[in-house]
Amino acid sequence: MDVKIGLIGKGNVGSCFLELLKKKENYLHKEYNLRIIVIAIYEYDGALINEKGLDLDKIISLKERFREHKDWKDNIKPIDSMQKINLDLCIDTTPTNPDTGKPALNHIIDALNNHIDVISSSKGPFYLKYKEIHELAKKTKTYIKYEATVASCVPILSIKDSLNGNEITSIKAILNGTSNYILSRMTSEGVAFSVALKEAQELGYAEADPTLDIEGYDAAGKLVILANELLNWSKTISDVKIKGISKITPHTIELAKLEGFTIKHLAIAEKDILFVEPRLIEKDSPLNIGGTLNVIKLQTKYAGPIIIMGRGAGGYEAASAILNDLISIQKLRKRSIE
Amino acid sequence: MINLEVRIPDTPGCLIELIKPISNNGGNIFGILHHHDKKINNMIPVNISFELNAKLRERKLENIKDELRKSKIQIDKIKIGIEQHHFVVILTGHVFDTDVVDTIKRLASKKIKVSELQAKLTEISEVSDVKLKIDLPESITKEEMIDELDKICEEKDLTLIRS
Ligand SMILES: NC(=O)c1ccc[n+]([C@@H]2O[C@H](COP(=O)([O-])OP(=O)(O)OC[C@H]3O[C@@H](n4cnc5c(N)ncnc54)[C@H](OP(=O)(O)O)[C@@H]3O)[C@@H](O)[C@H]2O)c1
Repeated sequence: MDVKIGLIGKGNVGSCFLELLKKKENYLHKEYNLRIIVIAIYEYDGALINEKGLDLDKIISLKERFREHKDWKDNIKPIDSMQKINLDLCIDTTPTNPDTGKPALNHIIDALNNHIDVISSSKGPFYLKYKEIHELAKKTKTYIKYEATVASCVPILSIKDSLNGNEITSIKAILNGTSNYILSRMTSEGVAFSVALKEAQELGYAEADPTLDIEGYDAAGKLVILANELLNWSKTISDVKIKGISKITPHTIELAKLEGFTIKHLAIAEKDILFVEPRLIEKDSPLNIGGTLNVIKLQTKYAGPIIIMGRGAGGYEAASAILNDLISIQKLRKRSIE
Repeated sequence: MINLEVRIPDTPGCLIELIKPISNNGGNIFGILHHHDKKINNMIPVNISFELNAKLRERKLENIKDELRKSKIQIDKIKIGIEQHHFVVILTGHVFDTDVVDTIKRLASKKIKVSELQAKLTEISEVSDVKLKIDLPESITKEEMIDELDKICEEKDLTLIRS
């Protein structure tokens, strides 16, 4: 089966996805009888378009100079082009404004309205307009998947399908690698918050403006998606009680240690309340993970806790989640046709 | 803590009859006091204190009373003490400048007792970190304690870190 796709955003995740697609070309064909044809790659200022299929090898080799490719056209917007070229699936990997969800939100709405299935790695649209997006997808009979939005490659949204016979009652998680790295360094080295932050920035784990990570907004967005998806809640980010970690000092951590605790920036969904805040946890708790890792503990009704951990960021990590979503959607499409 | 005042015959083996039902029901015995000086009609008053699992306390206590009655041990009085829960929280910010005594008093007025305080200070003008050990009677839930602490912390611009 041929699937014509359009990618919006050729940044880190978008480029890794194209590379992964090339690497997995034979596998996708052999295992799922899928031929993925990338016919459009949109950027904010134009697009690469070839309705017969873009030459991915060439585009990948051009790296940041992809606008030099013969298929590049200036000033093309996804909204104007996506229906004309008859896309089956649209993959959005653009950044989002945390207050409005744009531009990713617009891309998602435009694609769904045009009856095009969507995969997105941008979380903003889902922590702001989760319900509306799902209602639109239902109305337009399209599929929407967004595994990469929470903990990147860690399959925490799709785990729901494996727990249909159980019931998830609450969630405790570490969903931001930057704040976890900072707290881990403060704990192991006894350094001040500002020192650990600077180190994280030097290593590329923290942005030049780390506010969204250290003040808990990024984790709160992911928590909303988790709670809506796994607990069937209907929340937005404004429902989360958010506290950051910037006021934690080495002394705070020392006092916690004296009682056998450590401090972690936890994202918690329980009893209809959502929190992101620094919490004391037992030193030997499975949530006490170091570095930039993410961990999610699901409390279940019939099987106690289930814990899943892994790398919560990275281009290839997110790309692998997107590719998995793509395969899932094609399986659903196939089933709906049969 | 539960305290039983009973009377047992002053004959060997009778004390075992008192202890058995308590330990059979998971009781953790803290102390036994014999009042030999108050012996009347060969019966000695005994005071025994123990703790039971909070969740099963009522049911277990009924079992103990039944078993004691069967062994012909007379119960004179049962005193059930208030169960305490212990919590650790850390406050960071200007904990002293914002009157830590007032903080403790306000908690106490809601039956939330601070039993221990440990502080780490840098400069007098800088923020400090204070660890509080809190005893909570059974009548107050952890959520109610957190609500109270949250209120105070918001008012005094302190950060609360809890388990
Ligand atoms: N990187 C990760 O580890 C990771 C993991 C999971 C999820 N995500 C999410 O995935 C998304 C992409 O992340 P990334 O790391 O790939 O970011 P990135 O490197 O900044 O890539 C985003 C790309 O989108 C382009 N873009 C911006 N506005 C656009 C518009 N209106 N139309 C089309 N393209 C537009 C950007 O162009 P310019 O740069 O030229 O502006 C850039 O090429 C983000 O929402 C991120 O939160 C990232």
